[in-house]
Amino acid sequence: MSEPLTLAIPSKGRLKEQVDAYFAGAGVALRQTAGARGYRATVEGLGGIDVMLLSASEIAAALVGGDLHLGVTGEDLIREAAPEIESRVALLKPLGFGFADVVVAVPRSWIDVSTMADLDDVCAAYAHRHRRRLRVATKYTQLTRGYFARAGISDYRIVGSAGATEGAPTAGTAEAIVDITTTGATLKANGLKILDDGVILKSQAQLAMSLVADWTGDMRTAAAALLARLGATLPR
Amino acid sequence: MPAFPTYGPEEIAALDEQADDILSVFAARGYTRHEPAILQPAQIFVDRSGEEIRRRTFELSDPSGRELCLRPDLTIPTCKWQVESGNSYPARLCYHGLAFRHQPGDGPAQFYQAGAELLGLQDKAAGESEMMTLVVDALRAAGLAQFEMKLGDLGLFATLVDALDVPAQWRGRLKRHFWRSGYFEALLARMVTGSVNDTQRAIDALHGLNTMDLKPAIEALIDAEGDAPLGGRTREEIVERLTIQASDGAAPKLDLKVAETITKVLAVSGPAPAALAEIRTLTKSVAAKMEKPLAAMESRLVALKTLGIDPSEVRFAAHFGRNLEYYTGFVFEFWSQDVEIAGGGRYDTLMESLGAPRGTSAIGCAIRTERVLAARKGR
Repeated sequence: MSEPLTLAIPSKGRLKEQVDAYFAGAGVALRQTAGARGYRATVEGLGGIDVMLLSASEIAAALVGGDLHLGVTGEDLIREAAPEIESRVALLKPLGFGFADVVVAVPRSWIDVSTMADLDDVCAAYAHRHRRRLRVATKYTQLTRGYFARAGISDYRIVGSAGATEGAPTAGTAEAIVDITTTGATLKANGLKILDDGVILKSQAQLAMSLVADWTGDMRTAAAALLARLGATLPR
Repeated sequence: MPAFPTYGPEEIAALDEQADDILSVFAARGYTRHEPAILQPAQIFVDRSGEEIRRRTFELSDPSGRELCLRPDLTIPTCKWQVESGNSYPARLCYHGLAFRHQPGDGPAQFYQAGAELLGLQDKAAGESEMMTLVVDALRAAGLAQFEMKLGDLGLFATLVDALDVPAQWRGRLKRHFWRSGYFEALLARMVTGSVNDTQRAIDALHGLNTMDLKPAIEALIDAEGDAPLGGRTREEIVERLTIQASDGAAPKLDLKVAETITKVLAVSGPAPAALAEIRTLTKSVAAKMEKPLAAMESRLVALKTLGIDPSEVRFAAHFGRNLEYYTGFVFEFWSQDVEIAGGGRYDTLMESLGAPRGTSAIGCAIRTERVLAARKGR
């Protein structure tokens, strides 16, 4: 038997519900594989497709690493996992949910800062005055580096953040942050504001294809049939 | 060069021999050899070199969670050793060893560097001349007689920005970014049209206030943000920055003539004596202030002459700033057949950031010994 096409969808949370609803609306019914504890499924009426339920960040990493053929996950996670995305992952279709902006936010009390250029000035002055670099807390290391480099900012350092990034300036573990936000309410509650030109990425859930996975003719046929139902097409 | 080179017996013998030749030159001039650890705490590099270097640095953590890295350069650990040793200044230190940096593409991530650091010498001109002499002599001792030199000076451009009529709040920006081509031109254009409305809202609120009323007004604006965190900055920093901005008036613009002068100066690149003469002409309106850095560059050319190097064979590029964030003044590179084989310059703020007394000067060089060997063999 030939290797199946692999498709991964989120295994939990609001994103999983939205993906399930989207698939159902497109007439793609998933049938759980017996004994797989809800982590494996097949697609009714479409053979040769192995559906896996993984965490959103695992899906992004697997697409970039070529361990998956197709996946549904946040664009922010894919771009963070693959800074040179064009050669590794193709974004096939934005799905219209899972909206979140990756933004640069600073304390609201910094009334002298509203743009990246301001932040650049402040970073340089901070390094000079405090003899250390201004800290930016984030889990988006790659996106932050790329965006700050394009803005000409180099006098800063990234501190990794596993969760509750928006609390870092209050906790004193960082001066500024890069994080996702949907309404901005959490940032506001933590005394932060988004810079005018501080939106790094307007992200949403994406149906994506790995360009570095091994693709056979059978897999492309199976993918084309699935994508047709989901309103997307296979490139080339 | 392969990404993961293995040197055979002849190659490693040739490298060792060449390193000995270079280190002998360093030793004869009073430079003592040091060998910093290959595995270093990541912190000292992260805090001093910035994210641009960090993205090229191999970071790892040990089982206890301590953040380490493979040294991306030997300058910082060597300088740190000098500070912690408590030894007197001026200090002359040198090294030869591997440095590790991720290269885009397939370039080798590890490479040998022979380098020297001259720390805390008061006479800067003497230090610069000594460092250039050291590199020239070392390259000649290593058997490489033919090379091209390229010179620049971050201080020269900084002096120009301070001398010209530039809104105070933008001076730092221009000084920091002059070597970033593309970005800098766009920045300059925005300043000329006045479309740099960074903190317009705050500035509008402060418009027309005299110096006495400015500080309380700014503090009131900060207080209006309630219990928002200050994120490690002090109120004074915010007051200071807004005071400078307010002093530039409501809608500052960069004078078009000033912008043109900056653009023309940065475009100057060519044989050093002619390039310096051109900058003199372009900056005639602020000649008194430019005299010092221009004269300093000319005296460097005189120093090169005594080494048997014709200054008109040396290139000076006004936009040349070396893409490493700790350089502060004079910078130089040596090239052979379109490959950079050595480089260095002045980095006068690094020592203080490592804990040395205020104003401890520093100038250093690093020679890429594998490239010198390849250049000598004609590749």
